[in-house]
Amino acid sequence: MSARPSPATAPTEALRAAPSIPQWARDLRMGAKFAVTGGREGWVRLLLTAVGVGLGVALLLLTTAIPSALAVRHQRDQDRQDYTYGPQRPKAANTLVIGDADTSYHGKDVRGRLVEPEGPRAPIAPGLTGYPAPGDMVVSPALKELLDSGDGRLLRERLPYRIVGTIGESGLIGSHELAYYAGAKNLAPRINGWQTARITEFGPQQPARAESPDPVLLLLVLVVFVVLLMPVAVFIAAAVRFGGERRDRRLAALRLVGSDSHMTRRIAAGEALAGSLVGLVFGTVFFLLGRQLAGSVEVMDVSVFPSYLNPAPALAALVAVAVPAAAVLVTLFALRGVVIEPLGVVRTARPRRRRLWWRLLLPLGGLAMLAPMIGQGRTNGSFNEYLVIGGVLLLLVGVTALLPWVVESVVARLGNGGVAWQLAVRRLQLSSGSAARMVNGIAVAVAGAIAMQMLLAGVQDDYTKSTGQDTERVQMQVSLPRGVPLIPAAEKFTTTRGVRKVTALGTAELADRTWQRGKEPNAATQLTVGTCASLREVARLPSCRDGDVFVSTGGDTDGDAVKLARPGRVLHLDTSNGPDAGRDAVWTVPARLKQARTITGPIGDTSGGLLLTPAAADAQVNRTLSGSVYLGVDDSVPDAHEYVRNTAAAVDPLANAALWASTERSTQFTSIRTGLFVGAVCVLALIGASLLVSQLEQLRERRRLLSALVAFGTRRRTLSLSVLWQTAIPIALGLLLSSAVGLTLGVVLLKMVGATVSVDWPSVLSMTGVGAGVVLAVTLLSLPPLLRLMRPEGLRTE
Amino acid sequence: MTAPPGSLLAAHGLRKTYGPTTALDGAEFSIHPGEVVAVMGPSGSGKSTLLHCLAGIVTPDSGSITYDGRELTTMSDAERSALRRSEFGFVFQFGQLVPELTCVENVALPLRLNGTARKEAERAALAWMERLEVDDLARKRPGEVSGGQGQRVAVARALVTNPRLLFADEPTGALDSLNGERVMELLTDAARSANAAVVLVTHEARVAAYSDREIVVRDGKSRDMERLV
Repeated sequence: MSARPSPATAPTEALRAAPSIPQWARDLRMGAKFAVTGGREGWVRLLLTAVGVGLGVALLLLTTAIPSALAVRHQRDQDRQDYTYGPQRPKAANTLVIGDADTSYHGKDVRGRLVEPEGPRAPIAPGLTGYPAPGDMVVSPALKELLDSGDGRLLRERLPYRIVGTIGESGLIGSHELAYYAGAKNLAPRINGWQTARITEFGPQQPARAESPDPVLLLLVLVVFVVLLMPVAVFIAAAVRFGGERRDRRLAALRLVGSDSHMTRRIAAGEALAGSLVGLVFGTVFFLLGRQLAGSVEVMDVSVFPSYLNPAPALAALVAVAVPAAAVLVTLFALRGVVIEPLGVVRTARPRRRRLWWRLLLPLGGLAMLAPMIGQGRTNGSFNEYLVIGGVLLLLVGVTALLPWVVESVVARLGNGGVAWQLAVRRLQLSSGSAARMVNGIAVAVAGAIAMQMLLAGVQDDYTKSTGQDTERVQMQVSLPRGVPLIPAAEKFTTTRGVRKVTALGTAELADRTWQRGKEPNAATQLTVGTCASLREVARLPSCRDGDVFVSTGGDTDGDAVKLARPGRVLHLDTSNGPDAGRDAVWTVPARLKQARTITGPIGDTSGGLLLTPAAADAQVNRTLSGSVYLGVDDSVPDAHEYVRNTAAAVDPLANAALWASTERSTQFTSIRTGLFVGAVCVLALIGASLLVSQLEQLRERRRLLSALVAFGTRRRTLSLSVLWQTAIPIALGLLLSSAVGLTLGVVLLKMVGATVSVDWPSVLSMTGVGAGVVLAVTLLSLPPLLRLMRPEGLRTE
Repeated sequence: MTAPPGSLLAAHGLRKTYGPTTALDGAEFSIHPGEVVAVMGPSGSGKSTLLHCLAGIVTPDSGSITYDGRELTTMSDAERSALRRSEFGFVFQFGQLVPELTCVENVALPLRLNGTARKEAERAALAWMERLEVDDLARKRPGEVSGGQGQRVAVARALVTNPRLLFADEPTGALDSLNGERVMELLTDAARSANAAVVLVTHEARVAAYSDREIVVRDGKSRDMERLV
């Protein structure tokens, strides 16, 4: 007799056999087919999953592209470097004199260079094809746009050059960078060894040394990446479960026609796989769109060109494999507690009480991984990258594992309240898993962000230096290049809008001998020129009239003032730079000297030396002075800072106007904070979108029940409030748990870097506040559909 | 037109369309206190729409509905909701019990919506569940009881507020004949003992047999039938 099984028995035997790879493939394929053959509803579900996964994939691809974007930015910045601190060179056919004329406008930096090629082979700056003539300039596209707009009116006044061209992409580090090269003449006498120089090439003078990165900064960067990517992974896991309830009902029909429970799960995984594959395509499209969009946006002063954003191929491949694999695994995992029966009914197996022990193992394991690095501090150097990533990852995964247990345990103990409360609590008691899943992403993001904020606040002191500047006394400082007449410049500032007070001081170095190379002076002191009013800002003067000269002592750095201030003595002015470079300029100490007492000056120092009123300073002295104008500015006058900068530019294009700050942050530190902020906002927005989709899906599932409740007179307010409670309870628990885990992680990280452990409560509250805000927004956005679903149409069956 | 003398609820000239579909086309209806009226008709004839209009769930496009001397069609949504909460009871074919509440909590729900304290509401609910022979299910959730038991819980919930009017839309539609008959017996007995009028929408003659009077709806029009005894 033939061994061929009869058609009736064949499927049964196939089902009994252990699932082989072809069986898996067949079931997954069948599931994928179901995903696209479910009619309008099926397509909507597939679309939701694909959009959700796509958003996550786009964010992952963006993250993998960030290192390359930063590298390109860095390289371009290096390539255009004009090293002004180099040795002084003679004029030649291949030299260019370049002056740093950076400014800022409405809080944005403007990179400015004055250029004067001295020969046909002068080096060409990246992004340029030639240099503008004196009075002309070439500008970045963003600067051109700004200058052409009404917003750039005040900047136009500051840059009175004719625009003759545009800087190419290779000369810019970001699409929104404001930059210009302006042609100038007679720059050579302004060469001063720091702001203006004669160069023969662009780019770094020496190959950049491979510095070992600061371990604390490296730790911060690692944690930021884990903290930002972890919620994205949670989000993707949630997205592949969109439409789960209805899908389960459909799967029950498959059980009826002979599919066993394992097969059914594999088919469900196939559906998720299809969604994730379409999601990969969507994600690539979103990424490419976002890449283009990235060129038109600027976040916290950082902009990039689309061409910078190229994902690392290996990481992109990892995303392409990991996302579909995760979709399959998450679905199989999610269905492990669900019994799908053949009679068109999906009955969730009576939920087993969630166990705590293995959930606790995750965060404890994380702590165990981080523990060996506690107390190493930055001086002891390296943190093990793998232990850091593993430890942080386990702690954050611990949030997602602990949260369902916390929600279940707490809601089981919640008592009765009003009808809205009761409806919400009972729903959570019946199925707290889905509620916890909804909140997981936000909880992880908030926990990570709290830990990061704590770490940042803890190490902030180490990376923030006090400038010593007294911002109550002075709000802006204008530094004038050597040789710019000080008193006329000061007068221009007195008539500038918004300026309350002007203190103009010019300084030069005085010594007993010439400053020529090889004959270094034995004794030196500082010479300061200013009006009586200005000199009173740096010293207590007995009386003062124009023409007076003072010897000011009692400061921390008086130099050799007392020794050098002998009437009739000829002293030498420092002419190593500036218009008199190389010449010997002298000044004779006058017969009559007054004594003064040094006090703390505007920049927070106590420097003594010789103080000269304007009439006591001859032309030689004036030519060697480096002037600084300290300004009291009335911040209530709109654009007061811009008016000051315009006056500074009018006095001299190389004059540098700076806004005072009491502290100065490390730029690396600032960029990490920027990264965290931007990332946290993106992730929370993404999770908010996923929450909304899940919420709407759940409401749609309950449409008939909602209509029935309204039919027998339930107030819409009661149902709306119940939805709010239903979201608010898990969110509150999620935020509490995430605060606890975040604080723990923060403490561990602070101990690792050896910083003082303190809780930055404003950050904790603001992060939990942002998380709560997202939920509130989601609840509010889901109210209109909820009200629509409560209409009596939901009762209609025909 | 005025309502028939002594009627609790009367409707005249009801019209209702859903897009191009006319669900009611001049339907008439009246019911007296304590009376059980069956609304019969084939699928899609408009009988459920008639029930929804009579109960104030849906507003008709035209026509009038008078309940206890008050015009229902001019009431606000809040007024109609309050009326449904306090004076009407409802039993639907399925999907009406809140799955996360226990059976006793489901039955107590209308009382709680009216502001009754939880314990008092649940005491009253248990009493009704006893009358409908489902008191042993009090602490179970709807997912844990059979269809027939669920419908009896739903009947208890509909009667717990002592409504003057009970609307039942295919209450036995999802039950087997044995369970269906038991539910109908309990429903009509309980309603009669509470002197509640019942509007019973059904397409089954054996269910309609529990009524005092039948109205047939066909193509959106209603016709009062003589009971064949």
